[in-house]
Amino acid sequence: MKVDVAIIGAGPSGLTAAIEMIENGLTVAVIDEYYRPGGRLLGQHYEDPKAAPDQRVWNGKNIADQLEKKARGLGVHIFTNVTAWSVSEKWKIHLSHPKINMIVSKVLLLATGSAEKALPIPGWTLPGGISIGAAQTFTNLHRVAVGEKVLIAGIDPLSLSVMIEMKNAGIDVAGMVLPPISPASGNHHTPVQTVARLKDVAGLAPNSFIRTFGKYALAWFPRLIAHALRFNFLKVNGVPIHLRKSIVRIEGSEQVEAVILQSVSADGKPVGQAERMEVDAVCLSAGLYPLVDLAETTGCTLVDIPELGGVIPLHGPDMTTTINGLFVAGNITGIEGAKVAIAQGQLAAVSILKSLGKNGSITVQEAKMEMEKARIQSPLRFLPNIDEGRTKLNKLWEKEGVI
Amino acid sequence: MLSNSYRLDQTEQKTIEFYFNHEKLIGYDGEPIAASLLANGIKTIRTCEITGENRGIFCGIGHCYECRAEVDGVPNVRTCLTPNREGIEVFSSNPSLNKGELENES
Repeated sequence: MKVDVAIIGAGPSGLTAAIEMIENGLTVAVIDEYYRPGGRLLGQHYEDPKAAPDQRVWNGKNIADQLEKKARGLGVHIFTNVTAWSVSEKWKIHLSHPKINMIVSKVLLLATGSAEKALPIPGWTLPGGISIGAAQTFTNLHRVAVGEKVLIAGIDPLSLSVMIEMKNAGIDVAGMVLPPISPASGNHHTPVQTVARLKDVAGLAPNSFIRTFGKYALAWFPRLIAHALRFNFLKVNGVPIHLRKSIVRIEGSEQVEAVILQSVSADGKPVGQAERMEVDAVCLSAGLYPLVDLAETTGCTLVDIPELGGVIPLHGPDMTTTINGLFVAGNITGIEGAKVAIAQGQLAAVSILKSLGKNGSITVQEAKMEMEKARIQSPLRFLPNIDEGRTKLNKLWEKEGVI
Repeated sequence: MLSNSYRLDQTEQKTIEFYFNHEKLIGYDGEPIAASLLANGIKTIRTCEITGENRGIFCGIGHCYECRAEVDGVPNVRTCLTPNREGIEVFSSNPSLNKGELENES
């Protein structure tokens, strides 16, 4: 199959880009490994306190369905359940499809998103030990409980919002604890460091979190950090948030039966005896990283910017990369929310249109401003120093990214 | 609420019958096979080829390959990505699980 633009990833950025480009005269194919379009949107369901009153509920699945319907209606070729396993110059996209094994395009847009970092602790491979993102998808999209009594390891913006979603769905969440405090985890998860990071959540939290935890936590935070030693736990939605307990290991013969927890001091030193808690599922939350595998096969320059979530393709403010005809959008450019991803999809699309001598519905400059707006309006901030990371990236681009 | 099933709510979706290691189960048409299995309380999908330890859903997006199984004769199908359909036969790759020697707890 031949198209003007091939897009890898049918998430918020990929679908938005596809719609903008086909509406302005380009032929577009979108490829996604999942069985339905939508990407991470599919699992998202929360209240957005920053949105207009009639847009407070962010129902990601509905947004995904609308984007899919619109894209298909306009004639975008959407391939789901298909893996793009490699790309070669300019551009051949190799697919695992039974009939169509290659798509040829003038431009390639990588909107591959992100994956979850592992939290490898003893027992983590037991059935019942699952990633927090999987827990979100199974709860909100498939509507299946991941267990009857669930523990969450990792206290961060994503795991807190999934906890609330699970509670709202009627799942018994036994508590949230810190990841193991060890040299391997980089020692970033002491109670003091965790609380410092949660400060961002209290200000930007989705849904009822802002009304429960946020409300008193905002007032309490300065003291909370100073006196983290004194706190055993806080309760959010009736779920104990153990800021001074970390998970040591998961136990079970055939599947998850229990977790071993260790109390720790504010700076992460073990205190007292370990305890055992019976649960049948453990959700592990260690954060997200950009998916750059396909970018690597193109030979574009990659840069490591921890503030953006790790290694990303070096790209300019208009989403161009160091390779002509290769563009990026969404979480492959850094870990941010769906609203930013949508705006980045729009921006990449108008940049691509411009590169092919066509006009988009808005100018590149306008699309850049929309993206900045989306960043400010995002209800959930996954990484605290995104702005710093973007500044670093722009400096690198100016220095090295000249095509 | 979860006494009989891991389903969080009842919907109007079309139900189908499928088989896991010869056992007949009910799922929703078009949902991932892994979701149908979990809804039936099944967490162990296969065993590790090297250690023999149980494995199940981990990432849910096709990355970790932990939930792979044999589906209608095709090996190494990622059940978290693959929609369920009427009459399909799913097998753990390990023969001992296929014979039901290792029971999934529900």
